[in-house]
Amino acid sequence: MSFPLFRRITPGLAFGLALIAAFAVMVAVPGLIAHQSPIAIEPSRALQPPSSAHWFGTDDVGRDVFSRVIFGARVTLGLVAGSLLIAALLGGGLGLAAGYAGGITDLAAGRLADMVLTFPPVIAGVVITGVLGPGAANLVLALSVVYLPTFFRIARSGAIAEAARPYVEAARASGSTEFAILRRHIFPNVLPLVVLQYVILFPLALQIEAALGFLGLGVAPPTPDWGAILEQGKNFILVAWWLSLWPGLFLLASAVAVGILGRALQSGPGGM
Amino acid sequence: MLGLIGRRLAAAAVAAFLSALAVFLLMRAVPGDIVGQMLGQSGNDRTAEAALRTFFGLDRPLYLQFGDWLWRTLQGDLGASWYQGKRVTAMIGEAFGVTLQLALMTLLVSTLVGVPLGMLAGIRAGSKLDAAIQAFAMLGLSAPVFWTGLMLLVGAVAAFGWSPPFAWMGPTEDLADNLSILLLPVISLGLLQAAAYAQFVRGLMVAELQRDHIRTAIAKGLPPATVYGVHALRNVLIPLTTFVGLILVQILGGVVVIESLFSLPGLGRLILSALQGRDYPVVQGALLFVVLIAITVNLVIDLLYGLFDPRVRGG
Repeated sequence: MSFPLFRRITPGLAFGLALIAAFAVMVAVPGLIAHQSPIAIEPSRALQPPSSAHWFGTDDVGRDVFSRVIFGARVTLGLVAGSLLIAALLGGGLGLAAGYAGGITDLAAGRLADMVLTFPPVIAGVVITGVLGPGAANLVLALSVVYLPTFFRIARSGAIAEAARPYVEAARASGSTEFAILRRHIFPNVLPLVVLQYVILFPLALQIEAALGFLGLGVAPPTPDWGAILEQGKNFILVAWWLSLWPGLFLLASAVAVGILGRALQSGPGGM
Repeated sequence: MLGLIGRRLAAAAVAAFLSALAVFLLMRAVPGDIVGQMLGQSGNDRTAEAALRTFFGLDRPLYLQFGDWLWRTLQGDLGASWYQGKRVTAMIGEAFGVTLQLALMTLLVSTLVGVPLGMLAGIRAGSKLDAAIQAFAMLGLSAPVFWTGLMLLVGAVAAFGWSPPFAWMGPTEDLADNLSILLLPVISLGLLQAAAYAQFVRGLMVAELQRDHIRTAIAKGLPPATVYGVHALRNVLIPLTTFVGLILVQILGGVVVIESLFSLPGLGRLILSALQGRDYPVVQGALLFVVLIAITVNLVIDLLYGLFDPRVRGG
């Protein structure tokens, strides 16, 4: 990865980076922003519209929606970031190995990747979480499986392209071991592709995470997750719109922020 | 060309077979099947449990269960639902009618909105209009479809006091009701896909307008409408045709959530409820159907590419 990452910091990119910083704070120290408990139930104040005491209103069991949305950042964004990391490490590693080694390993892994990719991503996610049941672990498993093949393909094609370069031949002729070539030459050239893919896939994975939460297939209540809050809000949509407005806006804002970053990286000067 | 078709068909068949096998194994690998659900809490009756397992064929070895299912499926028989007793093919047929109507209307709306927006942004690249269209595309791509749907519903009720009818109506039963039920789902899904179109077409247009033949066309004084609408559009259409396929597959995924939100009896809802009930024949049949559609669409894209661009055929 070469620096500088961006050709220039446009106002749009500055906006995106500022949003990312804001979400980072929410994930790191939610208690600093929201002072009320995200899970404390208080039926006497159920379904109150936004007020100075509860900026985003309260839900059907009287929980503070502002706190739930702020604390939800860690759950939702954390799950997506973690799942994609697993997919990138496994898929990227496998792709690197398969692309460089070729042969039967490559063929078998390629067929498996094709198989997962035949399902539209949401449907694959629904099937995995629907069969295994809701819960954070199954959600992470589903998201990782859905995106692993994409990382596999990117890393594989990158490794194949690099392995054919003359300098690899030169390194081999000068006595480098295959592992050393893989580590010193192929890996550093494939890494930026995988990192960029991570950023590009993040908003898409976020959509799926939210959709699964919305279908009741995500993390179990009362954990505050944006998709799960939307699922809960759906039943009160015509009496308590605030329950649905805010988590959706936060989903939208985080997807936009990462989307802006992805676009800037794609057009960056460093070949990324 | 025939070689290309043959290779692609073979790869598609392998992918379909593997995905059917994966779904089959996944469902049987986890605890809890229809028998457990039927017996519920009083599930200590071992005789009843064994009898039901035998009835559903769940006591047979896995390879026999799968082989049997595969053999019947190849003959066009997907079996019957374990809950309703209805033929799975009939259930898929009914549900797919709803999903297909939703998907085609979404495709129509998003193409009519997204393609002109993308062309406009590409032609006026760098202008305020371009920035606005790109911002729209970014927002449309980032907003969760079901949230857009929820907000549209709130907006429609608040602004017009209107909300869609609850019970599903087919287009042949009552067209007005049918269209008003589909209005919000089509807008929420269409917005996302229009944004995808706008972004894609803008990129194509910008690249196309930098090419020599466009400069020549402008230099020899052709009216802008001819330059953009004929010379540029012709080259943009080829990649665009293949993009339509991608959009269709995406819509197919998006309908799962939107059908659940708006209570539309389509494929997505069929799959969801069958998964919850562990209705194996329905899950397997409906998923195979979805996978076959996705594969067919991708196959058509590949072949269209070969048709448009002869260089692909050899590879």
